[in-house]
Amino acid sequence: MTTPEVTNLDRKGAPIWGTLIGQLLKALLALAPLLVFMSIFFFAPLTAVVLDSFQGNDGNFTWANYADVFKEPIITAMRTSLALALVSAIVSAIPGAVLAFLIESRGSDRLRQVVASISGVLANTGGVPLAFMFIASLGAEGAATSLLKAIGLDIYSAGFSLFTFGGLVLVYTYFQIPMMVIVFSPAIHGLRKEWNEAARTLGASGRQFWFSVGIPLLFPSFLSALLLLFASAFSAYATARAMTNGTIALVPLMIGNLLDGNVIFDEVNLAKALAVAMIVVTLLAMVPYLIIQRRAQRWQG
Amino acid sequence: MKGLKSRQLPLTIGLILATIFVVLPLGSAAEFSLREPLKNTHGFDNYVWFFEAPDFAKYLGISFGLALASALILLVILVPTVVWLNLGGSKFRGLVEFISLLPLVIPVVALAIGAQTALPDFAQTNEVILAFMYAVLAVPYAYRTMDTGLRSIPLQTIVEAARGLGADWLAVLFKVIIPVIRSTVLSALFMTLALSLGEFTITSLLHWDTFTTWVTTMSQSNILGAIALSVFSLVSVFVLLLVISVFIKPTKSLIISEEN
Amino acid sequence: MNLKRIVAVAAASAIALSAAVAISTPSQAAVNYCKATDLKTAGGMDALVKAAKKEGALNVITLPRDWANYGEAMDLFSKAFGIKINDDNPDGSSAYEIQTIKTAPAAKQPDVVDIGVSALNGVIGAGSDKIFADYKVANFAAIPSKWKSESGSWYGDYNGIIGIAYDASVTPAPTKIADLANAAYKGQVALTGDPTAGQEPFMAVYAAAIAKGGSLDNVQPGIDFFKSLKASGNFTATKATPENYIAGAYKVSLTWNFNAPGAIAGAKAAGKNLKFVIPSDAVIAGTPYIQAINAKAPHCAAARLWEEFLYSENKGKTSTQLTPADLKLTGSKLFNTIEGGQNVFVSGGATPILQADMTKKKTLINGPDGFDVPKGAKVYQPSPDQQVAGKTLVSAQWPTL
Repeated sequence: MTTPEVTNLDRKGAPIWGTLIGQLLKALLALAPLLVFMSIFFFAPLTAVVLDSFQGNDGNFTWANYADVFKEPIITAMRTSLALALVSAIVSAIPGAVLAFLIESRGSDRLRQVVASISGVLANTGGVPLAFMFIASLGAEGAATSLLKAIGLDIYSAGFSLFTFGGLVLVYTYFQIPMMVIVFSPAIHGLRKEWNEAARTLGASGRQFWFSVGIPLLFPSFLSALLLLFASAFSAYATARAMTNGTIALVPLMIGNLLDGNVIFDEVNLAKALAVAMIVVTLLAMVPYLIIQRRAQRWQG
Repeated sequence: MKGLKSRQLPLTIGLILATIFVVLPLGSAAEFSLREPLKNTHGFDNYVWFFEAPDFAKYLGISFGLALASALILLVILVPTVVWLNLGGSKFRGLVEFISLLPLVIPVVALAIGAQTALPDFAQTNEVILAFMYAVLAVPYAYRTMDTGLRSIPLQTIVEAARGLGADWLAVLFKVIIPVIRSTVLSALFMTLALSLGEFTITSLLHWDTFTTWVTTMSQSNILGAIALSVFSLVSVFVLLLVISVFIKPTKSLIISEEN
Repeated sequence: MNLKRIVAVAAASAIALSAAVAISTPSQAAVNYCKATDLKTAGGMDALVKAAKKEGALNVITLPRDWANYGEAMDLFSKAFGIKINDDNPDGSSAYEIQTIKTAPAAKQPDVVDIGVSALNGVIGAGSDKIFADYKVANFAAIPSKWKSESGSWYGDYNGIIGIAYDASVTPAPTKIADLANAAYKGQVALTGDPTAGQEPFMAVYAAAIAKGGSLDNVQPGIDFFKSLKASGNFTATKATPENYIAGAYKVSLTWNFNAPGAIAGAKAAGKNLKFVIPSDAVIAGTPYIQAINAKAPHCAAARLWEEFLYSENKGKTSTQLTPADLKLTGSKLFNTIEGGQNVFVSGGATPILQADMTKKKTLINGPDGFDVPKGAKVYQPSPDQQVAGKTLVSAQWPTL
């Protein structure tokens, strides 16, 4: 969408709002509610965390906490967390997008309502309840495990385990896929039938419409949703904590151990540095995302 | 007729698979919650146990009130913001996207510790603080949902048309924009409600008692009861959202594919 | 004549009035319970009980009901003295307790804390703000000097021993840590959490170290043992919680003895049969947990009464045995009627800090059956200093086990 040209002129004839400062002021005003809200309830706590991350235990300024971020086992944890986030996001985004498309384009209104309600609930499951649900169904003595055994598929002798990287990805899909459905459905909802009709009038088949028009149009929204799933899996704490006992190296688990544990009490500021590091990593991950988004935006004109 | 059926087939298959995927874990947990080992049978004893617990209704009410408050807060803050972004402020989209993503990136436990230190005492002694913190946690999802929804409609066009016909901004907002984005906003609100009703980390780290912390306390003394409580939490929020959605008419999808 | 009479009456009245005032004043002199440093300065047990009852509430923090039978301790205290106990975040950590004292608003401050020894680092000693109030319980002298502060700001209360909890269906029944490598336990062995985050699994690693030829200064053999268990498939990364046990995710775990009675009872109610045994090849005793009164305690008298209760060596009535007649007794009489906190810990399977004194005075009750330390076994207790080296090794190697 292009910025509309607003040219209010002052008495001398020079544009006011059109100037850069004018635009910034206008933006500040429009974003004020969000900014004030986030400043108090998010940026203030975040600042406390950032400030503490630069403090040593003696209260003096230090880079040591950030230096530790690059040492083992933290760097391994960072790599594993990133891998988990990426794999989980992709593995969940595709089924989620397909499901969202099917429901939005072919489902009845009532169906969409039901799906919206249940997706909202499922997208927020996690922690101990979610871990238990999977252990109860796919654990060593789970209902699904026994069912599969009855039809001859012993997944455990084949080496399956819920408490591995792959197991975590599986458990994460339970809330990631519904999240994808919720966040991506509006994009499909708004795909205009006029475009489909126009394409048809010009002789395009359904497939051609999708490949040349539909998918490119949906791509930016797909990417935004993917980024959301990535961030969600990256910082997921309660579920990973309920599922494992620390033998899978993950950064949120380390943060929790150091901030809210019973064994290590003198590395609180290291934990805060880890939290800041996670934000920096996400910022870096947003760079390719923004580049692709900008390119894709040209399609929408 | 054949065309219709073959069109519905992928949806039907998708729904069946999705249902199995959703119900299997939940159903397995539910089976545990219905066990009554001392009577060697299955039944609702574990559910009766917590329904009859003295503070059940009280904490449910507290959580529900906070959830509504956080949904309202987000509504008031995000809708104008997202509308503005899509009407003329698209230059700042990247910035707002980054800001909106931040609460999702930092693990909740670190945020809670920061909140303990940064928020003044008077904020921490008023339970309403939780509504604001829940709203912060919901911003990533709510913003993303609303933005995706607004992007895909010709907002600029219809607003200009309405203005051209003489409507003032308030009328535009309420009579043109909101009806069009109603189901999107509703989705976002559902996410917020569900999130608030299930939030535990910030609630306990800021020393408050809501339904989720009450569940944890109760869960200590009764394993099967604890399982019943978590199943109940999930199912009840779903029912709640469904009931709310029944009262709101969905907006028609703009896409048709009858000729597909 | 009249004037003399008036003056005489006035003088007599004045004297009588001041005498009355003088007599009534001592009982109106208020004791500041927040500054009381022992039972004497608190004005005696009767006065303490009265003041605590008046306060009517006690804020405790991170006390699970099934932990060393704290559930019974809280029920007994609450019922006997009519004081409501508010338990903030029962599943919380020691770090949470310290953080709460440091940052929570006045209304949310705990009165008393029960923390791990290592949590004392940085909050006591020279250079740190005094966050605990000095108070020496009646039995303070009997607490081993290693586990108390000289001024009475903190003191050990109980400790536990690591044992093996296993499902009755497991064959063969394990008796030693080394048994856990048995192929029969494939996919069945679990720890209650991350040793980098929990004392219980951390001590379990020490138990493995001792069983495998290491020492309290060398915990590496313990880490290696769990590594080999993981490689062989015996060690499952699931967390050993009661729910996961019911779901069959694991069958054998290493836990504190004082968590076992509650776990066994809970398992029974859910239809499973859990057993517990102290391993014969490694008896690891944890360091005592530490009691302290918060300097910012909102209910000072109740806090001090709670501490007196926890350190009482009485053999007495439990919460279910109290009668309405008992509740009508005066403060100190009632206090002597109820079971002392130290014995409540014993009933939960823990070792009370005053065990030596209680054995001498013959006030020690019997603990749960089957929780005895194997005869002649050497008891190892990693000191806080020894644990520092262990922590470094474990936190570096566990995430990549």
